[in-house]
Order: sequence, then structure tokens, then C-alpha cells
Amino acid sequence: MRAEEILGLFPEESRDRWREVAKQAKRLQEIRLRACLPISILADNRESFVDRQGRIVDMPEAAAKSAPEELESILGHLCRYSIYAFADEIRQGFLTVQGGHRVGVAGQVILDGEGRIKNMKYIRYLNIRIAHQIRGAADALMPWLFEDGRVMSALLISPPGGGKTTMLRDIIRQVSDGTVYGRGVNVSVVDERSEIAGSYLGVAQNDVGIRTDVLDGCPKVEGMMRLIRSMAPQVLAVDEVGSLADAQALQMAGGCGCKLLATIHGGSMEEVRQKNYMSYIMEQGLFERYVMMDRRQGACRIVEIYDKEGKPCTRR
Amino acid sequence: MYKAVGVLCILVGCAGWGHSLAGQEKERVRHLRALSQMLSQMRSEISYGKHTMPEICLSLAELNDECYSRCFGRIYERTEGEGGTDFPKVWEEEIGKCLEPLPLREDERRTVTELAKSLRFREEGGQAGRVGQAELFFEGRYRQAEEAVENRSKMIHSVSILTGLLLAILML
Repeated sequence: MRAEEILGLFPEESRDRWREVAKQAKRLQEIRLRACLPISILADNRESFVDRQGRIVDMPEAAAKSAPEELESILGHLCRYSIYAFADEIRQGFLTVQGGHRVGVAGQVILDGEGRIKNMKYIRYLNIRIAHQIRGAADALMPWLFEDGRVMSALLISPPGGGKTTMLRDIIRQVSDGTVYGRGVNVSVVDERSEIAGSYLGVAQNDVGIRTDVLDGCPKVEGMMRLIRSMAPQVLAVDEVGSLADAQALQMAGGCGCKLLATIHGGSMEEVRQKNYMSYIMEQGLFERYVMMDRRQGACRIVEIYDKEGKPCTRR
Repeated sequence: MYKAVGVLCILVGCAGWGHSLAGQEKERVRHLRALSQMLSQMRSEISYGKHTMPEICLSLAELNDECYSRCFGRIYERTEGEGGTDFPKVWEEEIGKCLEPLPLREDERRTVTELAKSLRFREEGGQAGRVGQAELFFEGRYRQAEEAVENRSKMIHSVSILTGLLLAILML
């Protein structure tokens, strides 16, 4: 992550103010802009504020406030002055920009005649989440994901913010590129919320491997079958399984001979098993590995790896 | 003998001058048509492709003749390069430079150079509609100019030859 990349998120005329913040690129997690409220940043899980001169300060009273026009200008710049091209993303509340960074947006929604969100106006809240790909995040896990050179289906489990997506991204990259445990295989990713590959204008901004195809912004259920039919993957990856329809689609994909890599929210194996849509899948042994993860002192870690019967794996 | 050659030179010179004047008019018609077609392409790219403005400039750079191609190529490079410069600013600068030497009227130049400033719509319908307005303007100007150029061309040629004859008679 380079300082220039952070500066590039802002319009030319306001870049001077962000120089100090951009210097923190490696530690920076979020930049929050709210109309008429102090500008805040999150770096190393610590909140700070930005004053008028662009200095980082601790007290919100000393911070500069974002003007509504400034937010419009930043949004316009992030959308390459083509907000209409990002209307679908804005409707969902976020957009992925160059570099794979995600920008959450909030404001006033415009509803259509049937009460569905048509668009958003008066966008007055922006949360720029800085993408940090951690290469090697899955190194410790890789020996357990291969058996005789063959990749195994795995479900990553953790509470929100436990690092599942970061781990999944690195597993995809390594499975696709190949490792000492197995040759690289074709991987297809259904990236419903552009979190895995961080695609911008269709191009993956994160390194997800040389044999990876990404279906960006597509609902998981529809995307999985579409990719199986069109891209013939050996491994199919999805983030955040969260409904019966998702689980059924996974089951169908597994039935087509694909190995699956997926994530799910949960604090324990028991908690996941209790989800009605997961119990059947777990009984059927669709996943050969369950990886329990959590976050301690800001770092993601693997707590335990279970086999398809739910027994802890013995370290090789 | 010398007089005959002199008369011929005057006639050819005046005819050439007339031809050049008529050519300028034809050049204007050609540019009005090119601009109208580019705006039409831009509108389609917005409506059907939902491409961003810099991307549209790239496709315009690939499809149009040299003077426009260079201009749109530079807009794409400057807006999509590291950090990216503001699109309306770059558009105004580059299009302004490109149209400056062309035989267009001031309001025609302004319609294109100031177009980017007004392209801030949240839906492709609005954005395409705004480009469509500019396209209609150029389409109208093109039709007017095309009709006028035929008549004016004949008139310019006739006047230039007559001027030549008159000059030759006066000099004889």
C-alpha cells in the first residue's frame, strides 16, 4: 500500500489535506467522512481525527468537518465522475474503487413505486475502508487443506471481524497458483460484495491467483451454478454463507464435483451446526475441513481445525 | 502571350481562393458531423455499456480520426493515471486545445468544452439525456451547415471566378 494510492482516492484540489493521513497507508484501516462532523480515521484499531491542516489529532474538537459539497466531490472522483456507472453498487450501499478499497455510502434513499431502493441522494456519509491483502495469511492452514496433492473442501468459521475473508482470499490465491502441497487448479469465485477480489471495473484488484475467475457482484445462489456451467472450476469459493438457499446451492455445487471454499459467521462448531440450513450439509460431510478462527489483539488466528466428522485434526 | 498567361494566372488564383473558402465550409460540416457522431457514440456507451467517462474517452480515442483520437487518448491517460486528475478539468483543457484550430463557431466550441461540467447525473438516463441534448445541437447545426454549404459553395466558386475575370479586365 503506497501513500500515492491513498492520495489518489481524493480529488486533486484536496490532496494536500490528506498527505499526512496517506503517510499512514500501511496502518490505515478506515477514513470516515460525515457531513458537518469531524473527519476520523482508524489506524491500528485506534481512532484519530484530521484537522484543517491535515494533521492527525486525538481530540474530535480539533478536527476539521467535512462539507456536504466535499463529500459529493470525493464521491464523484471515486466514481471517476460517472456516478451512474456505479448506481447498482451505490444502491447496495458500497462501491469498490481502484485498489480494491471499499467505500460505504449512506444518505437518503430513493424508493421506486414498489418500495425497493432505486438510488441514493444526499450522500452525506462515506466510510473508505482501505484494502490490505495479507499474503501468506493462510500459510499455516495450507497443509491441512490438501490430501495427496488434492485440495479439500473447507468452511472457515469465525465471529464477524475474525479475518475469514482475508484468510479465504489467501487460500484462493495459493490454491490457484499452486503450493508445495498441490498443483494449482482452476478456481471460480462468486464475489457477491466484491470483498474477496475487490474488483474495479471488472478487474480483480487483489491477487487471487493466476487460475482464478471472478463473478463480481452476483448473488451467490445464481453465481455458483452459472460458474459451474460456464467456467468448469475445480474449486468454487464463496464468502458468507447465510441462508438456506446458499446452503442448497453449495450442496448442488458439491454434487457437481467441485471442491468448495466458503466462510460462515459463528463462534463455535456447535453454533454453526445449530443453524438449520447448515446441519444437513455438515451431516452429509460436504466440507472435509472446518477451520475455527478468531481475532486476538487485532490479529486473526486459527483456533482449531476439524475434519469432516467434526473431530479436531492432529497436527502433521 | 504574356498577357494571356497573366490572365490565366489571375483566374486560376481566384478560383483557388474560392475553392479554399468553400473547402473551409466543407471542413466545418465534416467536424460538425464528427462531433455529432462522437456524442451519439458517447450516449450509447453511457446508456447501454454503463461505462465510466474516462473509459468512453478511450473507446472514442480508438474509433475516431487523428485529431480527436489524440485528444481523447490524453483525457483517458490523465484521468486514469496515478491518482487521476479531475475529469471535467482535463476534458475542458484537452477538448479546448483540440477544437481551437477547427473552423467551428464559439457556441459550438463551448457546447463541447463545457459538457463535462454538467455530467454529474446519478442515473445513466439523465447522463445520456444530457449528452443527447448536445448531440441534437450538433445534429441541427450539421444539417443547417450541410444545406448551406452546397449553395454557398456554388456561390463562392462563381464569385471567385468573376473576381478573377474582373481583375484580369482591369489589369488589361
